[in-house]
Amino acid sequence: MGTKMQHPIDERAAVTVHDLTVAYREDPVLWDIDLSIPTGSLTAIIGPNGAGKSTLMKAILGLVPPAAGTVEIFGHTSERQRRLVGYVPQRGSVDWQFPTNALDVVTMGTYGQLGWIRRPGKAEKQRALAALDQMGMADFADRQISQLSGGQQQRVFLARALVQDAQLYFMDEPFVGVDARTEAAIIELLKSLRDHGKTVVVVHHDLDSAPNYFDHVVLLNVQKIASGPMAETFTTENIERTYGPSKSARTKVAAS
Amino acid sequence: MTSGTVILLTGILCAMACALPGTFLILRRMAMMTDAISHAILPGLVFGYWLANSPNLLVGAVGATGAAILTVSLVEALQRTRRVGGSEAMGIVFPAMFALGTILISRYFSNVHLDTDAILYGNIEFSAFERLVIGGDDLGPQSLWVMSILLIVNIGVLTLLYKELKISTFDPALTQSLGFNPILIHYLLMLLLSITTVGAFTAVGAILVVALVIVPAATAYLLTDRLIEMMVGSAIIGALAAIGGYWLAMWIDGSIAGGIVTMAGLFFALALLFSPQQGLVAQRRQAHLNRQRFALDMLVMHLYTHERTADEYSESSLGHIGAALHWNPDQAMRTIGRAVDRGMVVRANGNVVLTEQGRHYVQRLSVMDRVRSE
Repeated sequence: MGTKMQHPIDERAAVTVHDLTVAYREDPVLWDIDLSIPTGSLTAIIGPNGAGKSTLMKAILGLVPPAAGTVEIFGHTSERQRRLVGYVPQRGSVDWQFPTNALDVVTMGTYGQLGWIRRPGKAEKQRALAALDQMGMADFADRQISQLSGGQQQRVFLARALVQDAQLYFMDEPFVGVDARTEAAIIELLKSLRDHGKTVVVVHHDLDSAPNYFDHVVLLNVQKIASGPMAETFTTENIERTYGPSKSARTKVAAS
Repeated sequence: MTSGTVILLTGILCAMACALPGTFLILRRMAMMTDAISHAILPGLVFGYWLANSPNLLVGAVGATGAAILTVSLVEALQRTRRVGGSEAMGIVFPAMFALGTILISRYFSNVHLDTDAILYGNIEFSAFERLVIGGDDLGPQSLWVMSILLIVNIGVLTLLYKELKISTFDPALTQSLGFNPILIHYLLMLLLSITTVGAFTAVGAILVVALVIVPAATAYLLTDRLIEMMVGSAIIGALAAIGGYWLAMWIDGSIAGGIVTMAGLFFALALLFSPQQGLVAQRRQAHLNRQRFALDMLVMHLYTHERTADEYSESSLGHIGAALHWNPDQAMRTIGRAVDRGMVVRANGNVVLTEQGRHYVQRLSVMDRVRSE
């Protein structure tokens, strides 16, 4: 690990986490996390079940209160930087029986810019349609959301994040339960976002694909095990320290 | 205005006002909160009457709304302890509040005019006689004023906060990340529900008000998959229930509030049975069609599998098909008949033979082919 990478320059950091501890009651879910995610990176948060991946994301977003520590997004509190942040929650976290269509869900991404009371108008609908189109979902704009496949629902969620027009995106397990076509669409989206200078942080659980999709990684298991550029950080040794020895054989190929 | 017109209008306005917030309660899976609130307002109402030293509607309503908000907060505080579940928390809090109300009435207000029947069952029958009098001027029936204001407030608040209620109901995490406060939105909805319950229970009583909030919205939910249609639809269904219920009560000379709720229940039952997409009849029909299609698929797949094999002749005999596919002779004949009608098979001397069209159909069914085409 080069010294330059060990201490990423702070004003280039999209996210800086310092001494973050999150607990549900007195059970720590995250222990004293120190972390910085460089601007313009595609960063995966990787760790076993119950490692606190989603919680780390929610704590950075300010959705769960920290027991200790601070979080900064582009140098300020997440509260102040809300407009710069787009969020894609886990697909399973919402009720897909809700009476609405794909276009309406995507339009929800514009609500933050609208603020209280103001209603989305033609301009917002247009942007939502364009985002649906970008995710290859324009034909499904009027479709009731329960009639969409898992992959299509995920693409609707990503389109909704796109209309937020953020600088920094957080995506919670976007690859779970999606078809090959959606997986390809997500990867293409991630790369296009990076090419436009955006920063993307993704909770990911597949060790094999991680090195191909992402250029930075955070290995997490309640504590931070390691973080940094993929090539230097995603080593067998670090993976073993995150998961225990059993996973190492499986991932040797991927890590090399 | 005749007394009958006043009652009917009161019922329509009341039912519409109740149905509108009902949509969000259904979607948030917290329908029973209405029941909790409608019972728990009693001590607040009594306290309001005590403060005003008379059954003053306005002061009583303020007290009742306060009690409703207290109930919601208590239920949620109890849920947060994680020692009791959601519905148990309600079941513990609202009878306690209601009991407190009955104690207050029996201990301190037995001499005050407080009609328990009116609290439990409402007094819509008398709505023409209670007048709104300000400075000696008779401004008409009080209930019409109350219900009109209630409906206007509900339409106004739900229109203004439509977007916020929609997003916080669908996706609370995103709502918060966008800078809206889902808890504030939740309490605004609870406040609106409390005001609605307090206003409506004077007409239909504490027990039946829950039906007016929940049943029309639940009915509309079965009929549409758009939120705005669900809201407008629930208000229309509420109004129709009020009209039908009034008519029913006149016809059998019974309770009007009871009639309204009975009609609402009837509409729900009709929607449950006959809704074009989600109704039980439509679903059974669909299930029946699916079974028929599956039987057809099994038949042609069976024939295809054994085509050009040594046992083709025995496997395709009419008798064997029924045994192989677990069909009774009647079922077998019907399915084969349908396959013949569609040109997938032909019958030849007690055997069934695939046609070119049938073969083509099977190839599309074949799992291997489906994988290849993806």
